[in-house]
Amino acid sequence: MRPRDGVAKILEKPATSYVLLIIILAAMLAPIVFTAFTSFKSRQETFSWPPTYFPQKPTLQAYHQVIFESPIIKHLRNSLIVTLGTTAVVMAGGLFTAYGLSQYRFRGSGVVLLIFIATRIVPPISLLIPFYIIMSFLHLINTFTCLIILNTFLWYPFAVWMLKSFFDAFPRDLIDSAIVDGCTRTRAFLSIVLPISAAGIAAVAIITFLWTWNEFLYGMIFTNTRDVQPITVGAHYFVGDELVQWDSIAATAMFVALPGLIFFSIAQRAIVKGLTAGAIKG
Amino acid sequence: MKISDSKYGVIITTPGLIIIIALVVFPVIILLVTSFLRYTAVYPISFTGFKNYRYILNDRLFWLGLQKTVVYAGGVTALTFSGGVILALLLSKVTRGSGIFRSLAMFSWAVPLVISGFMWRWIFNPNVGIFSDLLMKVGLISEPVPIFSNRILAMLGCIVADAWVRIPFMCIFTLAGIESVPRELYDAVKVDGADCFGAFRHITLPLIKRMVLVGLLITSMITFRTIDVIFSMTAGGPGRSTYILSLYLIEQLWLRVNYGTGSATGVIMLLLISSFAGLYVYFIFKKE
Repeated sequence: MRPRDGVAKILEKPATSYVLLIIILAAMLAPIVFTAFTSFKSRQETFSWPPTYFPQKPTLQAYHQVIFESPIIKHLRNSLIVTLGTTAVVMAGGLFTAYGLSQYRFRGSGVVLLIFIATRIVPPISLLIPFYIIMSFLHLINTFTCLIILNTFLWYPFAVWMLKSFFDAFPRDLIDSAIVDGCTRTRAFLSIVLPISAAGIAAVAIITFLWTWNEFLYGMIFTNTRDVQPITVGAHYFVGDELVQWDSIAATAMFVALPGLIFFSIAQRAIVKGLTAGAIKG
Repeated sequence: MKISDSKYGVIITTPGLIIIIALVVFPVIILLVTSFLRYTAVYPISFTGFKNYRYILNDRLFWLGLQKTVVYAGGVTALTFSGGVILALLLSKVTRGSGIFRSLAMFSWAVPLVISGFMWRWIFNPNVGIFSDLLMKVGLISEPVPIFSNRILAMLGCIVADAWVRIPFMCIFTLAGIESVPRELYDAVKVDGADCFGAFRHITLPLIKRMVLVGLLITSMITFRTIDVIFSMTAGGPGRSTYILSLYLIEQLWLRVNYGTGSATGVIMLLLISSFAGLYVYFIFKKE
């Protein structure tokens, strides 16, 4: 028997898949789980060697410090403003654009679509200086407006692309029969297409929200005060400047990652569908 | 008067197009223009031709950054690819509890890259982290490894922290590809006597190739220009061993305050990524 046959035999057993999967998943989840555990340790315990894996005496000390003694709440508010603003702009603009590109083709709509895809190639980092020049000229450096505009640049084409693939799958007959019944095209879009595609639209909105929340580069370059800095940047400076205290770093990390983890637990199916939309049918 | 369907399409698409032109096309034009200007804090702005490009191409740090970027992006892509595909293959085999397994596999996607940097910085820390401790318990090493004072290990550490966030995306892409393969095909090759390697090579791989290529393209393009993890883990150190091009560009803006050379760096990165993307697209469409 060749060694390959032996390996193949082991791999083909269903139990092997489970065992391997559980090992890999444990490794994938470990950083989140142990960061969560560390955030409940006392400061003393975080400096012990060998490190403890579970908190010996769970305490909320680190969270208390992060919430009351660090500017994290302010950054949380900043991030919420930027994120909600971006999501609103991206969705309001993206819905109509995507619907037009999907259901009402015109001469040149293929080119428009291509422009949208091509913009994804432009690396955000290479536009740092042009944006800096533009934003300085408009006196928008260090404002929420600036961050909302830049995040719109980052996620808008993606949102249009995902929404378009949802609209592509929408049965055209439904729209046509509504129009025959006397609906205007915009009315048909708003009162028939939108409610029926609500799940897909929600997924795109959630993805946009999460990406904006997690964004770091533009937040770091285009803001310089705590009143505007988003939470990712705030956490970076907070941790870099003031802390080598692992319990607080862990608590800060949990704070920043929490919205993503919560959203993801609730809407995972829809998010996955959104991310793979368009790619599947090619 | 009723407007035609295609005119209606133009009307509702135009605002989006204007947004995209204002936010992408216009800045790209500015980028191209400033890359040919002497644009610093000290002298008045003037045209310098290719001087900025010449400066960069003669700058040792640029080439160092490019080299580190290629290693970094290559490493992250390789790790993301192998991790994502293996995970997807396993997930496609598992039937009981597959829903739970799938959601657990994708959690790290939601973690911001900066935070991933923090998490792994703690894990790899030789004084308090669990990585060294685990390896010592297993008996692989006898004393803690100082990951971040070793040039190669620091790079590897950053690659792991970055790939960890990206594996789920690669995984769902591959999984979607695998699930579009009809079950009967596998039964057919089983009858012909193929083992699981044969089935993977002759059926799964050809059919998911396109999907995987798209995933690879996206991953490599994004990691080529990323910065978050390196910023929060090593900030380019130790001794510029993780000094990627993005850091080089930020230095032009923050330290040297030279918008001309910074823009030229941006143009070069844009060209590199576009040619890369073009190559991929060419290979994907050539086969059909």
